[in-house]
Amino acid sequence: MSSVKDTIYDIIAKESGIDRAKITPEATLKDLEIQSLDAVQILFEIEDHFKITMPDRDPNFDTESVQGLIDTVEKLVAEQGAKPAAS
Amino acid sequence: MRRVVITGMGAVTPLGHTAPATWAALREGRSAIGPITSLPREALRFGIAAEVRDFDPLQHFDEKKLILLDRVSQLALVAAREAIAQSGIDFARENLGENTAVVIGTGIGGEHTNDEASRRMYAENNPRLHPLTIVRLMANAPACQVSIENGLHGPSFATVSACASSNHAIAQAFHMVRSGVASAAVAGGTESCITLGAVRAWEAMRVLADDTCRPFSKQRRGLVLGEGAAVFVLEALDDAERRGAAILAELSGAGMSADAGDIVFPSDAGAALAMKRALADAKLAPDDVDYINAHGTGTPANDPTETRAIRATFGGRADALAVSSTKSMHGHALGAAGAIELVATIGALCDSIVPPTANFIDPDPACDLDYVPNVAREMPVRAALSNSFAFGGLNAVLALRRAP
Repeated sequence: MSSVKDTIYDIIAKESGIDRAKITPEATLKDLEIQSLDAVQILFEIEDHFKITMPDRDPNFDTESVQGLIDTVEKLVAEQGAKPAAS
Repeated sequence: MRRVVITGMGAVTPLGHTAPATWAALREGRSAIGPITSLPREALRFGIAAEVRDFDPLQHFDEKKLILLDRVSQLALVAAREAIAQSGIDFARENLGENTAVVIGTGIGGEHTNDEASRRMYAENNPRLHPLTIVRLMANAPACQVSIENGLHGPSFATVSACASSNHAIAQAFHMVRSGVASAAVAGGTESCITLGAVRAWEAMRVLADDTCRPFSKQRRGLVLGEGAAVFVLEALDDAERRGAAILAELSGAGMSADAGDIVFPSDAGAALAMKRALADAKLAPDDVDYINAHGTGTPANDPTETRAIRATFGGRADALAVSSTKSMHGHALGAAGAIELVATIGALCDSIVPPTANFIDPDPACDLDYVPNVAREMPVRAALSNSFAFGGLNAVLALRRAP
């Protein structure tokens, strides 16, 4: 099973068409020259894959850097897991 | 070529249920943006919009007629009635209705009807849809309803170009009246798409503001959805004078262009091209213009791009222009935006008062024009432009002069 990081790297590479090897945790999507429409598609694919809702310009979350995306997803997935399962 | 004037206007907007009520709020700088009341807020990310509140369709339509009308058509019909009544035009006289055009823009059409049909089908697993679903949701329904109610047999259709739908509609009507293809026209725009599906879709694009709409301000955080309708009566100057009609303004030109570039990111060149064409069509020099009702969505991308486009069009005149975005008050009504903003532009021409850009905090270095922050300004307005720039790079600009 792939890690959150692997999955996010895959999604970024697929949606933006950039070489996966260019992606680093410190880079922001802007640094990677990802257009805004590609960026919102990346966020959507992440949301849909992990069944979470990514924050929109919430100062408590970094959704601009790759590491920020990984941290945000891990936090939201953990919160999701802590909730009682829907019946 | 005939000169074209506007002799009637009607509006149902978040700021008021008539054109005068809407204009009064715009002059006061009052914003109608607030928490969404028509949807469960817990289902929404930010949950703000500019809604038309307290609109009771039964005050305007009997039940038999109402069953045919999505809210998008209800708003258009009420606005059209006001415009036609104000103009004093009698379509029965001299067989005028025989060749009066109707052009009503809408970005989406009968979104409430679509939403309801989807809910029945997918949420309730109810395969039986209302038999009038199609006639309510079709994007040309508002134009058809205005034509039917008034017996108007001229060229009639809808224009669909997202946020430029209204200006494209008014431009088409203008061309038909100017050339004589139509004797007169009823034209404008309408939109009502504050549904769960539509708001969620806008949220997914991540272009909505979470606080309010602050066009051209450094603290702007995106657009805020609105709804409403505005409709106008267009006729030839000679005809209006002959029947002694009160003229609100002269519609003196229209300019349209396509960026042929990005599907969402706007181009200053495309916007400037539309403005330049509007000025040329209206035979206006940059120095003749005093006011621009900006597209001014309040998104990071639009406002600096529009600012550059205004500079490219007006050169040294740009710094003397009053430029305001009334979306700060009535929200972004998408396909109705240009029509509602024409109410603001006509108000400025008639009353020599420029409505402000509300919710303005600090200037943004990338937006360096005079945006009339927060407070309306008394000043002579000889001529004005009203800008609409749609997703897809579709631009439509109207040029108006004070009534002759």
